[in-house]
Amino acid sequence: MPDYELKLVKTLEYKRPEVNKGYVDQTLYVNVSDPAIAIKPVDQKTKEVFIGGKGYDLWLLWHAVEPTTQWNDPQNTVCIASGPMGGTPLYPGSGKSIVTTLSPLTGAAIDSNVGGYFGPYLKFSGFDAMEIQGKASEDTVIFVDGIQQQVQIFSASGLPENSYELSTQLTEHFAAGKPRSISVVSAGPGAKNTLIGCLNFTWYDVKRKRARYKQAGRGGIGTVFADKGLKALVVRWDSVTADTNNPADKAALKDVAKLYSREIVELDPKQNEMARIGTTHLVTIMNDHDLLPTHNFRYGSHPQAPNLGQQAYRHLFDPGFDGCWMGCTVACSHGIKDFVPLTGPFKGRKVFVDGPEYETIAGCGSNLGIFDPGTVVEMNFYCDAYGLDTISVGTATAFAMECFEMGLINETHTGGMDLSFGNRMSALELIHQMAAGEGFGRIVGRGVRNMKEIFAREFAADPAVMADIGMEAKGLEFSEYMTKESLAQQGGYGLALKGPQHDEAWLIFLDMVHNFMPSFEQKAEALHWFPMFRTWFSLCGLCKLPWNDVVPEDNKDTQEPAKVMKHVQWYTDYFSAVTGRSATPGDLVKMSEAVYNFQRIFNLKMGFGRREHDNLPYRAVGPVTATEYESRAERYDTQLQKNCGVDTAGKTTAEKLSLLRQYREAQYEKLKDAVYQRRGWTKDGIPTLEKVKSLGIDFPEVLELLKAHGVR
Amino acid sequence: MIKISDKTVAWHEGMTISDLLNEIADCHPYAVVRINETYVSRPNFDKTTIPDDAQVFLIPMIAGG
Repeated sequence: MPDYELKLVKTLEYKRPEVNKGYVDQTLYVNVSDPAIAIKPVDQKTKEVFIGGKGYDLWLLWHAVEPTTQWNDPQNTVCIASGPMGGTPLYPGSGKSIVTTLSPLTGAAIDSNVGGYFGPYLKFSGFDAMEIQGKASEDTVIFVDGIQQQVQIFSASGLPENSYELSTQLTEHFAAGKPRSISVVSAGPGAKNTLIGCLNFTWYDVKRKRARYKQAGRGGIGTVFADKGLKALVVRWDSVTADTNNPADKAALKDVAKLYSREIVELDPKQNEMARIGTTHLVTIMNDHDLLPTHNFRYGSHPQAPNLGQQAYRHLFDPGFDGCWMGCTVACSHGIKDFVPLTGPFKGRKVFVDGPEYETIAGCGSNLGIFDPGTVVEMNFYCDAYGLDTISVGTATAFAMECFEMGLINETHTGGMDLSFGNRMSALELIHQMAAGEGFGRIVGRGVRNMKEIFAREFAADPAVMADIGMEAKGLEFSEYMTKESLAQQGGYGLALKGPQHDEAWLIFLDMVHNFMPSFEQKAEALHWFPMFRTWFSLCGLCKLPWNDVVPEDNKDTQEPAKVMKHVQWYTDYFSAVTGRSATPGDLVKMSEAVYNFQRIFNLKMGFGRREHDNLPYRAVGPVTATEYESRAERYDTQLQKNCGVDTAGKTTAEKLSLLRQYREAQYEKLKDAVYQRRGWTKDGIPTLEKVKSLGIDFPEVLELLKAHGVR
Repeated sequence: MIKISDKTVAWHEGMTISDLLNEIADCHPYAVVRINETYVSRPNFDKTTIPDDAQVFLIPMIAGG
């Protein structure tokens, strides 16, 4: 007998519609308060404007919440959708789910694009998207069974708290002997006891015979999930073939998919080797270009950084096929088997660790002054098992460590913990405390923005210093790239709708290393095109990695190598082959533009979304301290001399810091102007009436909102 | 000899990555080159020597994220 119980509370029987050209044209609504289950149709206008994935999520969330809704109100909704191409096994990177909710960190809509089987299985089970509202009084499991055509709500007791064992247990429970037919979404105790919780989405590794997972990490989505009393979502679906998504033109799909798959198989081993080492190659490359965050983003390189590079993980990763969706030849979801943690509830036990990827290595490694891959792997394992976002954990801990080293906080505040940079045992202990909601970890788990307030209010720490070094914008912790020397990437982070996450625009190399965009106009153009095209992946249920992390050999000779236009054309062909909608590359950008502008207006609805909300902490723009300045004095002196006409001779570091700050902050404001103009927004960063009309998002409630903000 | 894509290039003692790029007359602004299993970034092209019989991969563009 299992030592847990799942008690059936509610069932909805339904007739599963056939997938038609990538869609089933209905969504699933579950309210765990009542509880209630309902099915909603998707109308043609929604389909045309919002496409799917993140577009559908935002539209559902918009209707679910009011401007006054808080993240922990029952009204807040967790929305999950794949997209029209999601679930295609032929075309690499076609198994993504996109999750949105109101973030506990930002108060606005957050979105996260995640691998695993859930989104595609949900669609094949009959739902383009799922929304979960309400709050359950008991631990709840929702089971969508596409084979039996029923949705069930269970109250649960006795299940493991941690996502690592919970995922395995629920996979076994619902699999009926076919574990590959199951995908589980779950959080963990860290998600419950912090504001930086993530969700784990499983896929089944047939070779290793285990449920593995990928993370919807950013913005505390897992925290909202846990706050609703949700223990897990489970979906069950049968086998997947090229016909399951019922594309409009299967022959055309096969043709373009074959080109893409073959190219990746041929070129990835010659380029970034993602099928062997994931994204770990970036560590030393970023370090060499002064772009790897170390010690809370003070510096971009460290002599010990190569310890965390791909050569370490080449040996640690368990070789094998590691695709988080079927048939993906990028297959970058690597893991480490038989890892034995030194701390915590799994101390001394062999576990399988999914990851780490670059962001986790930089966030939980170099940015904390930790250059030991074993510690990074252990932090990765526990963050996932506890349902914590490795990026926010890394950036929040780095902030706490710098505050500790600067004397803004001390051991009295940390419960006796030495939080000096490089203290790996303290970093691990903080994660266990976050999961338990205890000790100083409870404060760190509230994220950088809240920490700044708490440290100032309760520990008398200097708010001005913390405003400069606390690496958050819009309330979200920065992901792990240095931006000081790339104005375009400052915009990539500062102007990102959800906060500083690199999935909208990653322009560092184009801007800083290649100098492809010297003018404001060129930067603004890049900050228009790249966020729009990258958004499109999340509308369609796709991963962006195959687009530009493996590139054709002749790409460098094309007019716009950064855009990898050959692949953009393939994506266009792919979209048309699945949906039957004819499209051009420009149409893809237009599709995204509608959703992107809608999300900006959604921010406005929630009280954000204006120029002032696109500000950055100065650490992202330039050197905050004299030590930072002096470490790269030649670079900064030269900039002052050449760009500002300043004679640096005889000036103190403090004087030069101040002058450089004035210059760089002014540059960032100019960039905002240029980008807003390019995007068709007002000087306050609000989409104009003309823009929303041209994009077909001039819904009455949108126009009313714009009018209330003086846009007529 | 050094193998680079489908070509072979004569190796000489002390040959750096910068030397190699000059010899093959490829003016693309590569930011990273891989020598066997080691990634080398542009700031180190001048000081990184290539061993004989190495396989060299020119990484076209680093896309990140």
